[in-house]
Amino acid sequence: MKARKRERRRHAKPGGETYVFRLFVVGNESNSTQARVNLARLCEEQLKGHYQIETVDVLKDAATAHKNNVLVTPTLILIKPFPKVTVFGNLSDTRQVLAALRLIGGER
Amino acid sequence: MSQRKRPVHRPKIRMKEAEALVRALKTHQVDGIVGERHIMVCRMKEVEEKLENSRDQVRALAASLQSMRENERAVIAREIHDQFGQTLTILQLGLSWMAGKVNPKQQPLQEKIRSLSDLVTAMIQSVQRFADELRPGVLDELGLVKTLKAEAREFEGHTEIQCGFKTNIGKARFDRVGSVAVFRIAQAALTNVARHAHASRAMIALMQREHDLILTVRDNGKGITKKLVHGNNSLGIIGMRERALALDGTLTLSGSKGKGTTLAVRIPLSRVLIG
Repeated sequence: MKARKRERRRHAKPGGETYVFRLFVVGNESNSTQARVNLARLCEEQLKGHYQIETVDVLKDAATAHKNNVLVTPTLILIKPFPKVTVFGNLSDTRQVLAALRLIGGER
Repeated sequence: MSQRKRPVHRPKIRMKEAEALVRALKTHQVDGIVGERHIMVCRMKEVEEKLENSRDQVRALAASLQSMRENERAVIAREIHDQFGQTLTILQLGLSWMAGKVNPKQQPLQEKIRSLSDLVTAMIQSVQRFADELRPGVLDELGLVKTLKAEAREFEGHTEIQCGFKTNIGKARFDRVGSVAVFRIAQAALTNVARHAHASRAMIALMQREHDLILTVRDNGKGITKKLVHGNNSLGIIGMRERALALDGTLTLSGSKGKGTTLAVRIPLSRVLIG
């Protein structure tokens, strides 16, 4: 029963629920800036307003980074919907990022 | 009261995430490392780009210097050939004329003229050799393939190291810059064989494989060490590599102890062929 519920959630369509992301960056370094831009574009294209992005600059808030087991920046964590997903890098490989976030392919 | 050490923070990471992390690091998509107490900002991509740019600049400078050197050599070779060659030939003719005029009874004078004439002949040959070494005129006259063949023969004559030559190139015509570069690499490789390899046999091969021109110089000597291949002091090797790089080519050197050394240069045909 529980497994079925989880399965249903895994297949939740964007638009039905809000996607919550936490993006860890370091200042305005090039990969961090690219990650910010790429994430905003992906969300606008795929989730059309049904998303929240919380950006954490590890230089200002290292505690949150430690709490979230962040090792490098940029790191993107999909907080909701469950299960959590972590993506590293500047998010320039759109296909790979969407697949990891379950927004395309069988995993969605 | 003893101060207890703070436990080391060990972040948990799953295998799939670790693979993704390594991929991000390898593709330079990481700009910060979050440590327990410090955040390290790394600009690997920028540093690598700057390094690559500076490498390109050094290569361009080296290529330009090589080209200037070849041009200067060509000018000096021409001057030597035209000025000295001509003067010595006139001298030779003068001595022949004198020999004809001298009374056969004046034996010592005749012998003196003959020995001077021999000296002038030797000097003419030396001048021709210097000029050829500075700028191999045969490259323009005979082309790369025949020049390399002649070089192998000449090398064998000078060093008593058997030197063969093989090629699968027919009537392909190479441009001047490419021909000079390949010829100079082969010449430098043969010099290394003579100086360092303690070899009894060598082989030059100039082959066309698909879209590349491949020059190999192989010997059966003591074999080059890895240290020498990658060493900063191996100026001859660096020079050969720079010549290959200037034509978008590569140079590899391999060898093992007692089993000889092989130098292989691969240059795209499009960079050396005419037309």
